Amino acid sequence: MTKTASTSFGRLRTAGVALFATAALAAAPAAAEYPERDIQMIIPFGAGGGSDTLARTIAEVIAELDLLPVNILPENRPGGSGAVGYSTVAKETADPYFIATVSVSFFTTPLLGGSPVSYRDFTPLASIAQSPYIMVAPAAAGYETLDDLKTAGRLTTGTVGVVSDAALLAKLTSNALGVQIDAIPFDGEGEVLAALLGGHVNVGYMNPSEAMSQIQAGTLRPLAISSAERSPAFPDVPTFLELGHDQIVHTQLRGLVMPAGVPAEVVTYWEGILQQVATSDAWKTKYIDRFHDIPDFTDAAGFAEAIATTNARYETLMKELGIIE
Amino acid sequence: MEVLALLWNGIVAASDPAILMCTLLGAVVGLLIGALPGLGPTAGVAIMLPIAAGFGGIAAIACLGGVYYGSMFGGAITSILLGIPGDAPSVMTVVDGYPMAQKGEAGRALGMSVFGSFVGGVLGILGLVAISVPVSQFALAFGPTEMTAMMCFALSLLSVLGGRNAIKGFVALAIGFWLGTVGLDPIAGSTRYTFGSVDLFDGLDFSIIAVGLFGLTAIFTTLEVSVDKPLARYSFRSLMPRFSDAILSRWQLAQGSVVGFFIGVLPGVGATAATMLSYAIAKRTSRNPDAYGTGIVQGVAAPEAANNSASYGSMIPLFSLGIPGSATTAVMMGGLLMVGLQPGPLLFATNPDFVWSVFGSFAIGNLALVFLTLALTPLLASALFVSTALLYPIVIAIVVFGVYAIDYSLSSVMLTIIAGAIGVVLLKLDYPAVPLILGLVLGPLLERNIRRTMISSQGDLSVFIERPIALVLFIATIVVLLVPVALHFLGKRKIAADEAEI
Repeated sequence: MTKTASTSFGRLRTAGVALFATAALAAAPAAAEYPERDIQMIIPFGAGGGSDTLARTIAEVIAELDLLPVNILPENRPGGSGAVGYSTVAKETADPYFIATVSVSFFTTPLLGGSPVSYRDFTPLASIAQSPYIMVAPAAAGYETLDDLKTAGRLTTGTVGVVSDAALLAKLTSNALGVQIDAIPFDGEGEVLAALLGGHVNVGYMNPSEAMSQIQAGTLRPLAISSAERSPAFPDVPTFLELGHDQIVHTQLRGLVMPAGVPAEVVTYWEGILQQVATSDAWKTKYIDRFHDIPDFTDAAGFAEAIATTNARYETLMKELGIIE
Repeated sequence: MEVLALLWNGIVAASDPAILMCTLLGAVVGLLIGALPGLGPTAGVAIMLPIAAGFGGIAAIACLGGVYYGSMFGGAITSILLGIPGDAPSVMTVVDGYPMAQKGEAGRALGMSVFGSFVGGVLGILGLVAISVPVSQFALAFGPTEMTAMMCFALSLLSVLGGRNAIKGFVALAIGFWLGTVGLDPIAGSTRYTFGSVDLFDGLDFSIIAVGLFGLTAIFTTLEVSVDKPLARYSFRSLMPRFSDAILSRWQLAQGSVVGFFIGVLPGVGATAATMLSYAIAKRTSRNPDAYGTGIVQGVAAPEAANNSASYGSMIPLFSLGIPGSATTAVMMGGLLMVGLQPGPLLFATNPDFVWSVFGSFAIGNLALVFLTLALTPLLASALFVSTALLYPIVIAIVVFGVYAIDYSLSSVMLTIIAGAIGVVLLKLDYPAVPLILGLVLGPLLERNIRRTMISSQGDLSVFIERPIALVLFIATIVVLLVPVALHFLGKRKIAADEAEI
């Protein structure tokens, strides 16, 4: 009796599984064969800039390693400090065929009230590298170490735009060293570099690729790096952390997002792809070695957390600067 | 002379067929993009970047360079023929070039723009190869304080462009300054006059405004006149360039090249400001300043020489220091990175062959553009034989396309049309358009640098006279402003500023 019951139950279960399997089969194409058509990669900035190079290199590496059954089509949608491109992606809610890379403007433009969408309107996928900032001073200024800056009564630094990573790091360094550091907004990385080399500002927070050639030429001297650990590209530059300033850890995450509400399977799918990109030789030679970023893979959950933290940092900075309430 | 030998080696290296093809491709694309209203060198270089990167190495950068100086040649074409600036650095070419075309001297004006571009190009290349190291150090000496003084000096020279009514000129300048404040406040981070629109967040692009204010205004005003009106006296001679004009304008060519070069070197200033300054200097130093703006070759020579030599000047910080001083050179720097080179102070030392070959390609490209554009001149000039009823609808379509292509935004097209409508109003009320553009170009530069200086000095105004370069420039500004007044009271000749008309 019990046996029969259990058998019939078992049969029923088998039937149920079969039924479920049929249902799953019917639904399967959506999940299993996820990318059915080409994926649009929206670049919210003009061609030739850092974001453009990053996005196109990722697309190139994915194509080279043949990780996707479809193509990635990069498309520049500049305007409104990133607002135009990011809105284009965000409004395609739950559509897993739109993808974009994050940038500083991804956070700052919405906070400044310049964009209808914010980081909450996106699904983080994963990040595949970290770009630290290197704090530098002109060699002629005579500052050898971070502590030497304490002797200065007041310092100035250059930033691109009012709210930037350089402005954020200047605030953090200022608090840590007890020295006033005023950030002067310029219109581009090149202008900041010119001001630094001309001695019109005292310190700078540079991207690795810009800092590298100047450090090699001996025109700028590195004082500290903003990553948690030393960068392989700059093995001799100490981190702020090592120097006893544990509150100064801030890097730019090179990662990808999709519109809010894409299914969890899609996120897992992309985590897999991006992990392969991050660990590939092609990515190393085409990006890491060229731009001197730190290789690092962070999964969707970690990346989401980093996005929220970064946004909070910018928000705090803007409140401190009195830009927003 | 050693540099000339190196440059010659570079030219030989750049004559390699593959590199030559890429140089010419870049130059032709640049010519077309420059001629297309709205799209300028920055957009052109950016558009070509992914394609050029595929050529690799020298060919890639030779191609991108070709787009850059090619667009400086091309910008003059629509400026002269239609009164529509092909790109921002050719705005000043409209002032004398368009009246020349209307007088039936389109070929002469186009020819002059080619000679001007060529002379500016040659002198710019020589400056780039011979004195880039000292010049780049000179550029670094210009911080926010010096830039502020430089802008004041430029504005004092430019007051000559105000038109015959000084008050109306200043009103137009003030409107330009005001329009320059639209968008995100670059120093404090708040938004100004955006009325909550995302499209105005980045401010007003002056090339968009210039296309509307000059080009569409010219087209709109023709609605008042009969389209059957004969446009110009057609003669074969009017289509041909005149070589004697180059001799006639030799001083303006030399002056424009030198001014363009040094302004081009300064980070963040740009070729447009250089053309305005060189035009103003040409007019100020002329025995007959009133003739400027009526359609004379000298008025085409100065800005065309300036914009080409400025393009080479702006490459100096890029190649010798690794600093992209303008939006266009920033894109070119992206190109250098993409072909695996690290732009920086060591580029010359580590990759001399590369750098000299690229410079060699500039010389070849510049020469090739002269023959190409001179050969095209009669064909282009005959565009004026087309009835305006046919020509203008086509032109409007091209303008709309060109402006839309800047960032694929319909709001840019709307802005151009609004600027065109405002231009008609200004024209009817006899307010000059040039000071408005001037304000829009120089206003943001002046504002930003004053505010940067004030942050740097913590509000102390004495920095402006403590720094020697700034002090000299301020003294020069005062001299420029006071000399006409002094002359006036001494009963000598009247000064151009009050009399001349643009």
